[in-house]
Amino acid sequence: MDAVFSDSQNQFRQEVRDWLSANVPGERLPSLDTQKGFDLHRAWEKKLHAGNWGMVTWPEEFGGRGCSLTDWLIFEEEYYRADAPLRVSQNGIFLLGPTIMEYGTDEQKERFLKPMAAGDEIWAQAWSEPGAGSDMAAIRSKAVRDGDEYVISGQKIWSSRAVFADWCFGLFRTDPESSRHHGLSKILVPLDSPGLTVRPIAQLDGDPGFAELFFDEVRVPVSNLLGPENGGWGVAMATAGFERGLLLRSPARFQAAAARLVKLYKQNANRLSSGIKEQVLQAWGDTERFTAATYALVAQVDSGASISSEASANKIFWSEMDRTMHRTAMTIMGMHAELEEGDGAIENGRWLDGYMFSLAGPIYAGTNEIQRNILAERVLGLPRQ
Amino acid sequence: MNLIYTSDQQELIDAADSFFAGEHTVEYMRNLLESDASDDTQTLWNNFAELGLLGLVAPEENSGLAQDFSVMAGIAEMAGNVALTEPLIEIAGISVPVLAQMGATDELNAVISGDLKVLPVCGLSGMVSHADTADMFLIGEGGKARLLDKSDVTLTPLKSIDPLRKLYKVSHAGDGLEAIDQRGAILNASFLCGLSKRMVTLSVDYAKDREQFGKQIGSFQAIKHQLANVHTQIEFTRPIVQLAATQNGRCVHQAKVSSIDTAMLAAETAIQVHGGMGYTFEVSLHMFMKRAWALCGEWGDRNHHINILETMILADDAELGPGTTFSY
Ligand SMILES: Cc1cc2nc3c(=O)[nH]c(=O)nc-3n(C[C@H](O)[C@H](O)[C@H](O)COP(=O)(O)OP(=O)(O)OC[C@H]3O[C@@H](n4cnc5c(N)ncnc54)[C@H](O)[C@@H]3O)c2cc1C
Repeated sequence: MDAVFSDSQNQFRQEVRDWLSANVPGERLPSLDTQKGFDLHRAWEKKLHAGNWGMVTWPEEFGGRGCSLTDWLIFEEEYYRADAPLRVSQNGIFLLGPTIMEYGTDEQKERFLKPMAAGDEIWAQAWSEPGAGSDMAAIRSKAVRDGDEYVISGQKIWSSRAVFADWCFGLFRTDPESSRHHGLSKILVPLDSPGLTVRPIAQLDGDPGFAELFFDEVRVPVSNLLGPENGGWGVAMATAGFERGLLLRSPARFQAAAARLVKLYKQNANRLSSGIKEQVLQAWGDTERFTAATYALVAQVDSGASISSEASANKIFWSEMDRTMHRTAMTIMGMHAELEEGDGAIENGRWLDGYMFSLAGPIYAGTNEIQRNILAERVLGLPRQ
Repeated sequence: MNLIYTSDQQELIDAADSFFAGEHTVEYMRNLLESDASDDTQTLWNNFAELGLLGLVAPEENSGLAQDFSVMAGIAEMAGNVALTEPLIEIAGISVPVLAQMGATDELNAVISGDLKVLPVCGLSGMVSHADTADMFLIGEGGKARLLDKSDVTLTPLKSIDPLRKLYKVSHAGDGLEAIDQRGAILNASFLCGLSKRMVTLSVDYAKDREQFGKQIGSFQAIKHQLANVHTQIEFTRPIVQLAATQNGRCVHQAKVSSIDTAMLAAETAIQVHGGMGYTFEVSLHMFMKRAWALCGEWGDRNHHINILETMILADDAELGPGTTFSY
């Protein structure tokens, strides 16, 4: 066990830092849930890609640098230290990309990974349905085989960024006789397909951050099937593992927020009640715990171990830490907390945005209640209900 | 950067784990409770010496195993898992490395062979369990480590809620020393992780066994979620403790605070899951729970460590944010 970065890791960090300081936009980009913000975030993805920083852990042949996960944590630290823009291509690069590498055919890797890394094709996820949220095995949208095509009908909901994205991936019932998690397949669908209607849904902040997707006999080639037909559940669980686990939420973003919280506290310290101080220390401490745990997890994965149900503890921890930390910021801001911008608004309403989004953390990627069920049953071995 | 044990290190920890689990059973603890006899502990100490546990972190020239301190922390967690009563971790994890630093070769060799017991004293409390079995005490005073003979001090018995802690106040406790206190805090935090983990295991076993409303109580979500919460807290406490054992600095204080919070939560959850049975002297839970309560205040209580963190984190020149966790 050691906690010292190697010379080459330090060099890598410096390289990332230098590139980011020369390239990160001076001003925060508008929300990626608006057309303008989305376009600017896409342009940033292209810039990252041009610098070969799009997804450092990917193999070189797909536009990456073949870095270890530890290097990726270093990259993320520098990324959030530089306050670089959010990753509009996160569904592709963090979730679908690794799944294609694991389950995709050579043709699929060739077809999808490069434009994904380049920001040319941005992906949305289409799992949830009105009747299938936590109970994802209740999916009813179907894909019927017709020659070398699937004909898709049904409805998906809460698809983040689908309003502006290019493609979506999700689970569809390919075996009409099947029930629950059998007979589902993971299929990739262009969002501009004839018969596919994308209806924006305004999120808590009023921006069209998600969409409802109506599939009315949408046709896609059979080659858009990822993994085995009727074996989509297993493929989807692999993606869910990446999402709950380490790829989507590395410690750096939370450490950056905790550092901002300490600053916010100091600026307001003279008017705060005494209990706030400990909440601030708790926020900082929790991000340190999350960092140590993530480096330990990454060391395990780099040494060949695979993570599965343990990812559930990860998801519970980061999402609740994030919410608590943002609530503390709201408390500190007090009467200024409600201000979105302009006079009196602190950091242009950034904490408020962050607080709203932190409330979604315990809901998306499988609610925390579901994660607790998974931990209790699959890790602790308690009896199923 | 590699925050996991090498396979050799893991083997040593596993070996200690199976030794503790085999010898330091709940039955053994019950016997201690009933007979109040500590005479049969000599076999245990002979085994500690034979297994190399006493010299684990000692230099090779003193016939130690020259292992990293992080391995000692791993073993402390295993000791916590069985609520080890004998002060092995304090002697092997604190006294031994400090004796080596002091160049006290004779004492060091005698400790490693199991012939001498040198118990470290925390300057903050002066409270030492099993102090009556010590031959010497190690204190920090005026910035230096110092050895005291047992005849140099008087011991006042104290009454701990933990019936297996034979607690004494040592008349001369010194004013502390980083080399002693940091190790004490880290190993204490590890031990607490082990206790927390064991309280979860005991509760899971109980919840699978006990039935109400015609079902195992462990199938109720209210029980599941409480235990999942404790599990999550443990999983996010152990790594910061291991990091503290690998690098010093502010994570030591965070490790201690987190392990206290986790242990208190584990104890409260465990008794709730056990229902009325948890409120008895009969089930084994109480022995682990009481040890946890006792150890939370040892080697600097929560207030002590939070206060230190406060000065560190709120300092004007504090380095915070991404990339500052490993900068020591
Ligand atoms: C910001 C955001 C982005 C999202 N992005 C996407 C996306 O891109 N693509 C996509 O497909 N989906 C997305 N979702 C949807 C998300 O995955 C679902 O909201 C989530 O799975 C919960 O489903 P639900 O909303 O139907 O809630 P429900 O399943 O109706 O749950 C409501 C409440 O009941 C609880 N509950 C349900 N079942 C149980 C149980 N068995 N035990 C205990 N409690 C239970 C839940 O925990 C929750 O508290 C997103 C959601 C949010 C908030």
